[in-house]
Amino acid sequence: MNRIPLLEGEEVYKLIPQRNPIVMVDTFFCADEGGAETGLHVQSGNIFCQGDVLSEPGLIEHVAQSAAAFAGYLPYTKGETPKLGFIGEVKKFKITRLPKIGEFLHTRLKVLGEAAGVTLIAAETISEYELLATCQMKIFIKED
Amino acid sequence: MEKNELIVKINETLAEEFEIEVTDITPDANIKETLQLDSLSLVDMVALIESEFGVKIKGAEMVQVQTFQALYDFVAERTNA
Repeated sequence: MNRIPLLEGEEVYKLIPQRNPIVMVDTFFCADEGGAETGLHVQSGNIFCQGDVLSEPGLIEHVAQSAAAFAGYLPYTKGETPKLGFIGEVKKFKITRLPKIGEFLHTRLKVLGEAAGVTLIAAETISEYELLATCQMKIFIKED
Repeated sequence: MEKNELIVKINETLAEEFEIEVTDITPDANIKETLQLDSLSLVDMVALIESEFGVKIKGAEMVQVQTFQALYDFVAERTNA
């Protein structure tokens, strides 16, 4: 996996429409037409944390925003603002362990197919080489 | 892979994924109606064909691939079956 970020912290705002306190991607490693890699530092102030772990909705939101960042990367390279995306479906969502505060999530997205304006992506999230979660997600990007 | 083998594999793959009987699939049947595909699930079929057969169906090409026969021909042409 790629370990040198292209964008970090508030620089990621260039790719996604979300803003604090609901930003769930703080690192963008790379992207090409087949997918992307993103990251998130799980911090104690995160609104999706319950106790000392990131909740399941937080993990889904992280993957969704990773997909949004992926979709926003191409407009960003053209100097355009990111477009709004919608989750059409989440399926095959499997969690092996919820991440704890202080961990860094590294998520890899792969495009499985595109049809009728819908993109199907597969996502896997790891922490220090341990697979934490996998899922498939369908996303729409709202065109202007 | 021979074309007949390809057809059998396509039918079995689609029947399993979309939970229908293989016998429901006939060459002239409409794909969307038979598999009950909507705008959200169409991408599942496209991704399945790509992952199983290595054939990518682009948006404009979907217009031509309306029946199973058209799908068999499309995949066979691109896999030299």
